[in-house]
Amino acid sequence: MKLFLLVLKNIRRNLLRSILTGLGTMVLVVVVIMVWSILWYLDEQTREKTSNIKAIVTERWQMPSRMPLSYAPELCAGSARRPEHVRPQDSMTWQFYVGSTEPGRLSRESALFIVATQPEKVLTMFDELDTLPPDSPDRRQLEKAIQALKTNRQALIVGRERLEAINKRVGERVKVYGMSFKRIDLEFDIVGTFPEGRWNNLSVMNWEYLNAAVDAYNRQPGNRPHPMTERSLAIVWLKVPDTRSFTAVATQIAASPSFTNPQVKVETLASGTAAFLEAFRDLIWGMRYFLMPAAVVTLCLVIANAISLSVRERRKEFAVLKVLGFRPAHILGLVLGEAMVLGVVSGLLSAAGVFMVINFVFGGLKFPIGFFGTFYIPVRAIWWGLAVGSATALIGSLVPAWIACRVRVAEIFARVG
Amino acid sequence: MTQIFLRNLGWITAILTMTTLGLLLAARIPLRYNLRNLRVRWIPTTLTALAFTAVIGLLTVMLAFVSGMVRLTQMTGHPGNVLILDESANDEAFSNIPATDVGDLVNLPGLVREGGRPWVSMETYLVVNQLLPYARAGRPNRRFLQMRGVEDVQMASLVHELPLHPGGRWFSSAGVREIVGPNGKTITAIEAVLGEGIAREMAQDRSPEELAQALSPDTLLPGDIFFLGDRTWLVCGLLQSAGTTFDSEVWAKRSLVASIFGKNTYTTVVARTPNASTARQLCEYINTQYKKAAIRAQPEKEYFASLQETNQQLLVAISFVTVILAVGGIFGVMNTMFAAVSQRTADIGVLRLLGFSRWQILGSFLLESLLIALVGGVLGCALGSLSHGWTATSIVSSGQGGGKFVVLRLVVDAGTLAAGMTLALAMGAIGGLAPAWRATRLRPLEALT
Repeated sequence: MKLFLLVLKNIRRNLLRSILTGLGTMVLVVVVIMVWSILWYLDEQTREKTSNIKAIVTERWQMPSRMPLSYAPELCAGSARRPEHVRPQDSMTWQFYVGSTEPGRLSRESALFIVATQPEKVLTMFDELDTLPPDSPDRRQLEKAIQALKTNRQALIVGRERLEAINKRVGERVKVYGMSFKRIDLEFDIVGTFPEGRWNNLSVMNWEYLNAAVDAYNRQPGNRPHPMTERSLAIVWLKVPDTRSFTAVATQIAASPSFTNPQVKVETLASGTAAFLEAFRDLIWGMRYFLMPAAVVTLCLVIANAISLSVRERRKEFAVLKVLGFRPAHILGLVLGEAMVLGVVSGLLSAAGVFMVINFVFGGLKFPIGFFGTFYIPVRAIWWGLAVGSATALIGSLVPAWIACRVRVAEIFARVG
Repeated sequence: MTQIFLRNLGWITAILTMTTLGLLLAARIPLRYNLRNLRVRWIPTTLTALAFTAVIGLLTVMLAFVSGMVRLTQMTGHPGNVLILDESANDEAFSNIPATDVGDLVNLPGLVREGGRPWVSMETYLVVNQLLPYARAGRPNRRFLQMRGVEDVQMASLVHELPLHPGGRWFSSAGVREIVGPNGKTITAIEAVLGEGIAREMAQDRSPEELAQALSPDTLLPGDIFFLGDRTWLVCGLLQSAGTTFDSEVWAKRSLVASIFGKNTYTTVVARTPNASTARQLCEYINTQYKKAAIRAQPEKEYFASLQETNQQLLVAISFVTVILAVGGIFGVMNTMFAAVSQRTADIGVLRLLGFSRWQILGSFLLESLLIALVGGVLGCALGSLSHGWTATSIVSSGQGGGKFVVLRLVVDAGTLAAGMTLALAMGAIGGLAPAWRATRLRPLEALT
């Protein structure tokens, strides 16, 4: 306890240096935590799960996937044709309607990427929306919007960032000019937004509205069938309880004679995500094995510098302590303790600060990579901050602490003399 | 902000260099004095310089990555080429031009012709899934492959100015060839021409069958085979495509690509005009007067330049990270310089009594901090320069969906090094200013007591 009080006293003694070192540690821990949060989230998304698996069925060879809508019923049933076949717990279909609020021009400010799906599936199948706490305001707000999507086929839920980009508000009407479904322009009533996060840039519409519009286009005299009529289905999502069920469903679909032109493929969401992220392989590698170590090394050097300056200035003091009966281990502990206290406190403060500021002030870390646009700092990052702060403090102060504990009393006092 | 910084990089570097030189001349305190002090206090000097090295080295590599991507998009395309997509597509991958609409495009005015034949390449570009049952450990079991089905490969080569590497040949008019397969049986393989980058990439995940017949373990070469879309493909040539986005493409006969992957429309028509000005005129004509098809034209160079959105996003992210790391480095150098000031209080007193002004004391300490930054910056730039020429995979996109997977080479150019040195000197100047200011505030007699 006495040693700890001495540590605190020493930290206060050169307050300027302690503050500068602490601030240096804090900003460098910020970098580590931000990069770590992104990598952790991507790892989580690409880690194969063993239960509650989401599978995606897409066209086997081409990207973007375009399958006939007639595939939907059988795929949603997991191609289960016999009683012993495994059926998915839940399913949903995605059709992509890409459009612009300006005729003939697709720009950052006008683009709308709309998923046409079954409204009731938004809360049961959409990643992260399916785990919203039942009583949370976000869920209640979304339930209200979904109800509007069910009753009003022209309803549209728009992600927050997209809503801001097209300069519209909930309650307003928007006309969207079809880009993926050319010559099919749709009018929508904006009925709600998604909770802040993953779906910030996506919109969702009732699939019946899109398919009715395609049918109406095809029925118009003089129109040839719309080119997207037979290829409007992009993805079928299936939810299965475990790996065994996934394998069974995948086998059933692969064996089905219904999906030959075009062929389809079934993969887990994690595997599909990993394939998408493959394009960013070297960027992610650089973040993991280059950026993070560089930040940690810089942090160690800043701490080592501060502690070595402190040790250099206090050699006489260490000699006096030795005369007073302090053993080398005590001095080692004293110096390491000072560094560790600085590292732990700065790391914790930094992690807590970055957690609050990034998540609640900036609404997440905007770093578009694949189809992930916003990353959040997880609560566990607070422990990472503590670990990084203390570990780098320990590493950075080891050599100066060793030098301090090996101070020779006779040598120091000879110089004083 | 980043753009403003990079646009004015030359000025900023010049101002910082002039400041350093100005300090050297105006300080009047011999440079030897500063050098000796840095040598005497070699541990903090080295640690601070190393922290600078880490930050600047990191910045250099990150900027080299972005420079590689920028160069890739800038080098791709010919100034005289006009890229024609369907009217609503902003990316080749989303374009669909019916076969009935492309026939008339050879009659467009102002095209380069050779023997009466217009230089027009009709293409179907698509992204396909290549299943990788033998993917390396930890890698996904499929990859997205960029396939370009070309109607006339020799015309495509002329229009895109992409010759083959020696030893290769263009695929035949049939687009297929009988070969002896891995199990000794004769099979019909689809002929393909590959970009150099993708040839290296595809060589990494080959099956034992493919490897058994492989001519090189590092890259696919003419004569090698690969599997895609339930078919066997034969490499008949490698494009001299390094430094362009075509480096990541596989070219094959369009009709075969269309039937195998089920895309029967054209995506792209590339037409060659004599120069950039005629290309612009042709674009104007197509976009305003041509009514026979729902198409939109833009100079090919502009199309590839528009794929810079990813570069911009990366640049912003890099700037953000670098600024935070730099702030850490600044605190480091502040610590070092504050310690230097407190250790040399007596020196400062003597200098003041000898007649040196406050500004000269400030200049001397600032110079010391800049020297540390200079050494750290040079070392960081040197270390980061080792990344020049490394290959990496990435994606370039306009930010409106689509985009292209690319294999790029990192480029450490003068701009990258200037950015590194500027940041280093700026860190040194900012970090050294407060301690140097404190040194000027010391009263001579008090400093000596």
